[in-house]
Amino acid sequence: MDHPRLTEYLKRAMPHAEDLRVAGLKRISGGSSRETYAFELEWNESGQPHSRPLIGRRDPTGGLLKSDREREFRVLEAMYRAGLRVPEPLYLELDSSVMDRPFFIMHRAGGRTSGGAFPEAEPAALREKIANQFLEELASLQSLDYRALKLEFLGEPKDPADSARAQTAHWREIYDRDRMGEHYPILDAAFAWLAANPVVTDRVVVVHGDYRSGNYLYDDNGMLAMLDWEMTHLGDPMEDLAWASMMFWGRGEFAAGLMEREAFYRLYEEKTGRSIDRARLFFYQVLGNAKMATICLTGVCDFTQGRTADAQMPFLEQLLAPLCDDLALQLRLI
Amino acid sequence: MLRPTIRELLTSLQGTVGGILIPELTSPYAQGQAAYVAAMLARAAAVYDREDDYNAAELKDLRATLAALARLAPKHLGRGLGDLKKAVARGLKAAKLNPPDHSDHRAMEAAISEFAAALALGRLDDAVARLMRAYLKRHLDRTREFLGNIVMG
Repeated sequence: MDHPRLTEYLKRAMPHAEDLRVAGLKRISGGSSRETYAFELEWNESGQPHSRPLIGRRDPTGGLLKSDREREFRVLEAMYRAGLRVPEPLYLELDSSVMDRPFFIMHRAGGRTSGGAFPEAEPAALREKIANQFLEELASLQSLDYRALKLEFLGEPKDPADSARAQTAHWREIYDRDRMGEHYPILDAAFAWLAANPVVTDRVVVVHGDYRSGNYLYDDNGMLAMLDWEMTHLGDPMEDLAWASMMFWGRGEFAAGLMEREAFYRLYEEKTGRSIDRARLFFYQVLGNAKMATICLTGVCDFTQGRTADAQMPFLEQLLAPLCDDLALQLRLI
Repeated sequence: MLRPTIRELLTSLQGTVGGILIPELTSPYAQGQAAYVAAMLARAAAVYDREDDYNAAELKDLRATLAALARLAPKHLGRGLGDLKKAVARGLKAAKLNPPDHSDHRAMEAAISEFAAALALGRLDDAVARLMRAYLKRHLDRTREFLGNIVMG
């Protein structure tokens, strides 16, 4: 994104604003599936000065995910309307002639994030508070009426077993596309197991698709906003719980770096008022590891084949080892 | 001997990125990208001369495992496992080529992957399952040793 075109775009989007200026435009490293830019918008309105911290998210040339910009924006709008902790989405631009690739603008929430598990160095009281808010927010997400929010476009499962089958098929297709012809025996085994053992969900909910530590902003007072809604779909509530509590996001017994894993599950049951189905949870943890390994392969493939120059991508190959280790243990392959 | 060696070159370039480029960059995003480049140069310097060893060890193990599977096949790959018998035959054919090219290596891995999938699905008897588990453990150990064991968190 560049300063002149962004300023012109926002002037068109906000015709009531006078003396509109974009200040401090800089690319930031968050949300690695997108190009993400932070800036301050300053303008006058009715003689009064205004300013607002904003984020611009633009489609990348390559990278971790190939997802639809409009879909993510519409989900964010629905979540904002529903009162979930998300940044307010403001403008969506699908015309590539405006800024080379589609993008959207949203409010920039303050706070900080972690790379993976919730940082050990943070105070225990904050950890406990965020664990509560993290699962409260998940419970709220899973209680939404997706039809009332007009989210059927996310793809309603045809039957209760369709969620598991559709997610398996989706990630298997991407795995086959991005493995560059190589075979990964553990991943081949995992996808075969997933295809042969689809679980049947008891209800269909909105699944964030990347609900984990590292994808929310927080400050010393708690959780501020859940980010990265590009993998959102309709499916099994166990999918987000399984992803959030995968061993991969933090070794040891602390789920998401937040609390001991079994306590985390008990708290989820308390927040949702529903029992965890351990067989479905297990299925989605296997899927989660296979999905994360596939995302890594997509990043590596796009870097190797020149679709992205992001220097973070080749490191993703190194994440395959712990993911395959976890899959081998889960499926008793060693 | 030609100097700098590849390892020396990669290590020195890592110093260039860390010591000259990064301090000059004002954008935190660009600094982050440069840090990734420096770290990847360090990794390349550490492992570049081990890649051939890694591939040779994997190839040797694939050949040995496929040969062992072929020996077990008549007695242990019975009715309903015809697909696996064919996989062993394809893998063995690729394994006999000397030196195997990339596609032969892939053909061996494809055959082993079919067995790994069969193991996950519980289609293998104890003897074949034991053989596959031992191969997969060695494969994972080698991969972990070569790639490193990154922990998120």
